Amino acid sequence: MTTLATPPSTVQARPAGSGVHTQVQVLTGRALRRLRDPRLIVLSLLQPLIMLTLFSQVFRGIASSPGFPSGVDYIDYLLPAVLVTTGSQAAMWSGSGLATDLRNGALARFRTLPISMTSVLVARSLFDLVRNAIQLVALIVAGVVLFGYAPAGGILGTTLALLIGLAIGAGLSWVFLALASWVRNIELMQMVGFAVIFPLMFVSSAFVPITWLPPWMQVIATLNPVSYAIDAARGWALADPAFGATVSALLTAAVLTVGAAAIASRGVRKP
Amino acid sequence: MSQLMIDAVDVRRTFGDVTALDGVSVAVPAGTVHGLLGHNGAGKTTLVNVLTTLFAPTGGRATVAGFDVVRDAAEVRRRIGVTGQFASVDEDLTGAQNLALLGRLLGASRREARRRAAELLELFGLTEATDRPAQSYSGGMRRKLDLASSLVGRPDVVFLDEPTTGLDPESRLSMWEVVRTLVAGGTTVLLTTQYLDEADRLADTITVLSQGQVVAAGTAADLKDRVGRRTVSATLAVAADIGPALDTLRRAGLDPLQSGRTLTAPVESSRELAVVVRALDDAGIEADELALHEPTLDDVYLTLTGARP
Repeated sequence: MTTLATPPSTVQARPAGSGVHTQVQVLTGRALRRLRDPRLIVLSLLQPLIMLTLFSQVFRGIASSPGFPSGVDYIDYLLPAVLVTTGSQAAMWSGSGLATDLRNGALARFRTLPISMTSVLVARSLFDLVRNAIQLVALIVAGVVLFGYAPAGGILGTTLALLIGLAIGAGLSWVFLALASWVRNIELMQMVGFAVIFPLMFVSSAFVPITWLPPWMQVIATLNPVSYAIDAARGWALADPAFGATVSALLTAAVLTVGAAAIASRGVRKP
Repeated sequence: MSQLMIDAVDVRRTFGDVTALDGVSVAVPAGTVHGLLGHNGAGKTTLVNVLTTLFAPTGGRATVAGFDVVRDAAEVRRRIGVTGQFASVDEDLTGAQNLALLGRLLGASRREARRRAAELLELFGLTEATDRPAQSYSGGMRRKLDLASSLVGRPDVVFLDEPTTGLDPESRLSMWEVVRTLVAGGTTVLLTTQYLDEADRLADTITVLSQGQVVAAGTAADLKDRVGRRTVSATLAVAADIGPALDTLRRAGLDPLQSGRTLTAPVESSRELAVVVRALDDAGIEADELALHEPTLDDVYLTLTGARP
């Protein structure tokens, strides 16, 4: 029982401290360990797969309606949008995950260490990004195998759509991280999540052309950043690139990330 | 080395209208244990949060290991270890992984971090549980792992916020043993507790907090002296003897108080127990029970904090 207690005078043993790079690497590695549990992956895939199945089957008749882009299969129209909405939905889980960690004290120790709390948040965001990417790839595979997804934009267009979904998802997840770092109430986070994310998903161009929405919803849908991302993703997938929407979507994602990251970093410092 | 490792001067902290700390000063020399004693809401945890750089004080100043907790917060964090009221361990990771992760975050190489983890697990008697996920640990083991986590960086100052709350007696004893080992190695420890015997047994000096203010400070012996001397109590066999017994004890030079059939009188030394026995015997008064009481920290605590509005 006497080996540990090094007197403070022999401080040469104290580590020199770690850089932000090491911190992010170590913390992300720790989070990614959780993905080794296949149950977690399967469960997180369930909801987007159900969504894809329901929408692609229930609304497939839409494709033959007047006003719908002609010559486009509904699955090709739908899937790029689902990549974006699934990416956005993942933001909710980031928020309630952080709120849970803040509640049960899992992050308490990190605050007293000589490390940057931003590293802790970045690690969580990277973990969410990886998990999200796995989900989206699985969705694409399911779309191809089960529903005959074969858009004009091919693999490249679909990959770009996936990246746009990841980008807007990351931006929104930072917003939820910022919210969680100040609110810290798991139930409230989940409620806010549904109240924000679902309207963003539905009052958009995701499932039907915007012109089909009631006029007041059209106003919201044109302002909705998720709509830009959907238009951009769909444009690339259908080989009809929407450059304006792409730039708007990526800019929105960047602004949300930077702004919310600053707020979140301050918030998590509070015990 | 009589350098002060914790030096808080007139620290204040308010949360809106609530004053959590109202001018608290605490000075802890290197290599000693300081006990912060107080009930829930007395301000103990707030003071720990200020000293561990989590909250900036709204008034006053504080240094830890010679560094200002506001201006040099990063330097302070490099020299402290903190164990909070809730065990902050990663349930999914094993004991060894938990400690190695912290080692890596503190800048150790993978190998150093693993070596340090093994060292600490051995110190805390957790070697057998090295490769088991922390979620399978008992409450006591988890608390030990949490304390071990705060020692990974070989801190100069260790803060323990109610380290034994909720632990079984055996685990408490082994926590105390670990604290003693730490201090023997030169570490300075500040612990908060609601357990008076814990402060009495572990702390070299004690600060009693109540409603954000220091109501008493000193060694356990100092505090006991402040509250009063030893007392002798006598429980009479017959209630009717109370009047005569009071007179008898007063004539013997004592100042007895009565409560039911029990008379209590402060005494200078244990020899005065004999005075009481003889006086009652001479008066033909029979006592069921006679006892000499040493003051406890409970007396200190109740006297000092109970007196406040």
